[in-house]
Amino acid sequence: MTAGRPAPAAPPPPPNRRRRMSLRARRRALPWALLAPGLLVIGGLLLYPLGRVLWLSVQDYGLRELFQGGTNFVGAANYTDLLSDSYLWRTALPNTVLFAVVAVGATVVFGTLVALLLAALRPLARTIVISCIMVAWAMPAVSGTYVWVWIFDVDRGIVRQGLEAVGALGPEGFNWFADRLAFYAIVTLNIVHHGFPFVAVTVLAGLLTVPKELYEAAVIDGAGAWQRFWNVTVPTLRPVFAVVTILSTIWDFKVFAQVFLMPGGDGANPAMLNFGVWSYQQGIVQTAYGTGAAIAVLLTVMLLAVTLVYLRALFREEEIR
Amino acid sequence: METKNPQPATGHRTRRGNPARTARRALPAAAAAAALGLAATACGGGGGGGDDGALTVWIMEGTNPDATEYFEAVGERFEEEHGMPVEVEFVPWADAHDRFTKGMAGGTLPDVAELGTTFTPEFAEVGALVELTDRVGDTGAYNPALVEAGTYDGQVYGMPWYAGIRSIIYRTDVFEELDLEVPENWDELRETAKTIAEEGEDDMTAFPVPGAAPYSVMPFIWGAGGGIAEQDGGEWTGTLSSDESVEGLEFYTDLALEDGVSSTGAATWKETDVQDNFVDGKVAMAISGSWTPAAIAEADPELAENLGAFPIPGPDGGYSPSFMGGSHLGMFAGGNEDAAWSYIELLTGDEFAQRWTEESTYFPGRQDQIEALAESDDPLVAPFAVQALEAGASAPVSPQWGQVEGKQVIPEMTQSILNGDATAEEAAKKADEEIDGTLNQES
Repeated sequence: MTAGRPAPAAPPPPPNRRRRMSLRARRRALPWALLAPGLLVIGGLLLYPLGRVLWLSVQDYGLRELFQGGTNFVGAANYTDLLSDSYLWRTALPNTVLFAVVAVGATVVFGTLVALLLAALRPLARTIVISCIMVAWAMPAVSGTYVWVWIFDVDRGIVRQGLEAVGALGPEGFNWFADRLAFYAIVTLNIVHHGFPFVAVTVLAGLLTVPKELYEAAVIDGAGAWQRFWNVTVPTLRPVFAVVTILSTIWDFKVFAQVFLMPGGDGANPAMLNFGVWSYQQGIVQTAYGTGAAIAVLLTVMLLAVTLVYLRALFREEEIR
Repeated sequence: METKNPQPATGHRTRRGNPARTARRALPAAAAAAALGLAATACGGGGGGGDDGALTVWIMEGTNPDATEYFEAVGERFEEEHGMPVEVEFVPWADAHDRFTKGMAGGTLPDVAELGTTFTPEFAEVGALVELTDRVGDTGAYNPALVEAGTYDGQVYGMPWYAGIRSIIYRTDVFEELDLEVPENWDELRETAKTIAEEGEDDMTAFPVPGAAPYSVMPFIWGAGGGIAEQDGGEWTGTLSSDESVEGLEFYTDLALEDGVSSTGAATWKETDVQDNFVDGKVAMAISGSWTPAAIAEADPELAENLGAFPIPGPDGGYSPSFMGGSHLGMFAGGNEDAAWSYIELLTGDEFAQRWTEESTYFPGRQDQIEALAESDDPLVAPFAVQALEAGASAPVSPQWGQVEGKQVIPEMTQSILNGDATAEEAAKKADEEIDGTLNQES
């Protein structure tokens, strides 16, 4: 090759030129080539099932269709049936949405408080506290739920015994698993306990990047602790809060095990079902795959809508700044 | 779904090949390849038939503690007689329905499978099962409740294999201490429970009334002369709100609401919760399956020494009918039918059926085999056998009954009464509406 030598003042030979073009083409293709494996995996594992669920949701699909094959297209019938069912509006939707709002709020607030505590601690103490909260995070949802069910055991649980000892509960007790509000209060405790470590650790990471000078300037301006938090920390960490809120929302909308494994949560008491468990009940347990799929699609649409609103709010903030 | 397995499924699954073939695969690498090969057949068999022509069989896990050894013996015998290896796969009860539906979707159903009695009409209706009427022959030899549950549209699809039935187990030490006798009618049952509640230990539940255990309610509905649903000219009608059914429901739920012999928490208990609490020594009397004494003995041998049983009494003496659960053996369409039937015959034949009964403590499906057990000296076998012979009943035999169970219509009804949200009559009316809607729908 002569490329390295001083060359005569002549136009570059055609092969060279062709090579440069192919280089450019290759450069353009490179990101796609690198993305391809990921896209293939996402396409195969996510988009294909998603498409299948959509297709199922417009069919009356039961065990017969499953065994014998074939399709049974019914248009939007599954959706109109669901949307005209008062069960969706009175039970499943509030159980899903109201619960998610409360659980996300509680998780983010509690997680942030823990993050502020962690930021104020010395490294050794911080390590100890982080290790402790990691245990809550690492606990599998199934074990965690069983622990909460045990704590709230109606006849002999420690909560019952405690309340009885202080005289807040009579000897006949109270079945919290049979009361919708109490049932979801326990689910909320379970979810917040399981979800706050993620928020705490993420917000802590954000807190450590806030320049100290901002706080010093605020102190000089006479800002109190609350004002420093509200006017310095919150605006700086807005993207972090957006991320933890979106992720928590997605998780809390599709809670399954924490409801399903509670006494009465598996369908024995229909007042307790949320969208996830309801979809499983209809689709898998009762082999009404079409209805189950339609419920799952409704849940997905809700989640997409919520996420979109969050993202728009986030990006609008960015633009203003 | 019939939940006879007292232990929650653990997800542990074994898959055994024929021992002779396994021995040839001595090298670890070859063994790994074999394991992969076996795993692959699990997802690609296609309507029965394993690799190299083996007969594929699915058996529910947990019925027989020595199931692996048992099925190895059956498999060896089958290969001797028919020259065909058998591959048995154990499926946890909790997963069973899912596994079958996945098998239908993916074409990976086995040749022979153990079927929970409520699965049989459901799978028969969609054409997944092979009709066995001629092969089974005279059904009079088998337990009538099992035959009824295995018959769909006048044809037999499920070969009665084994049965389990619920009666009442009790703590003999508690009865002795309080000088109590085995109750022989409903009034005595109530008085006995009240005595235990009032005079027994403080944290002892006399007779739990579990809200999420449908088979514990049914004896009282049937005992009072009521029923769950009736079929007339192809049309099903829920009969839970008939006067008799409501009377039975009221007696049962009033045990908790009026007589205070149950506990607040029991309103959301399942059968497994009843058993757990019994093992903890916190329950004096409970409706329990014929397989539970063995499980209790395993969990707490000391407690098991003070264990007795009696058939569920009728309102004025006699017995209240109890749900006869159990399993059929079925053949899936598209498999090797002749070999599959030979295997079913081997399992239900005298030799292996008897061994199964001894090892699993379940009842055999043949009437003469149960009769022998009713004469047994074992105080924990005879009462259940009497219940099975004299007062066994089956749930409505409809392909849609599985959906009624899936919807948990009866637990919902029981819980709403126990929680004070509805009277027995209101709750039963609502349950009837759901049963009418579900049983009469076209699937």
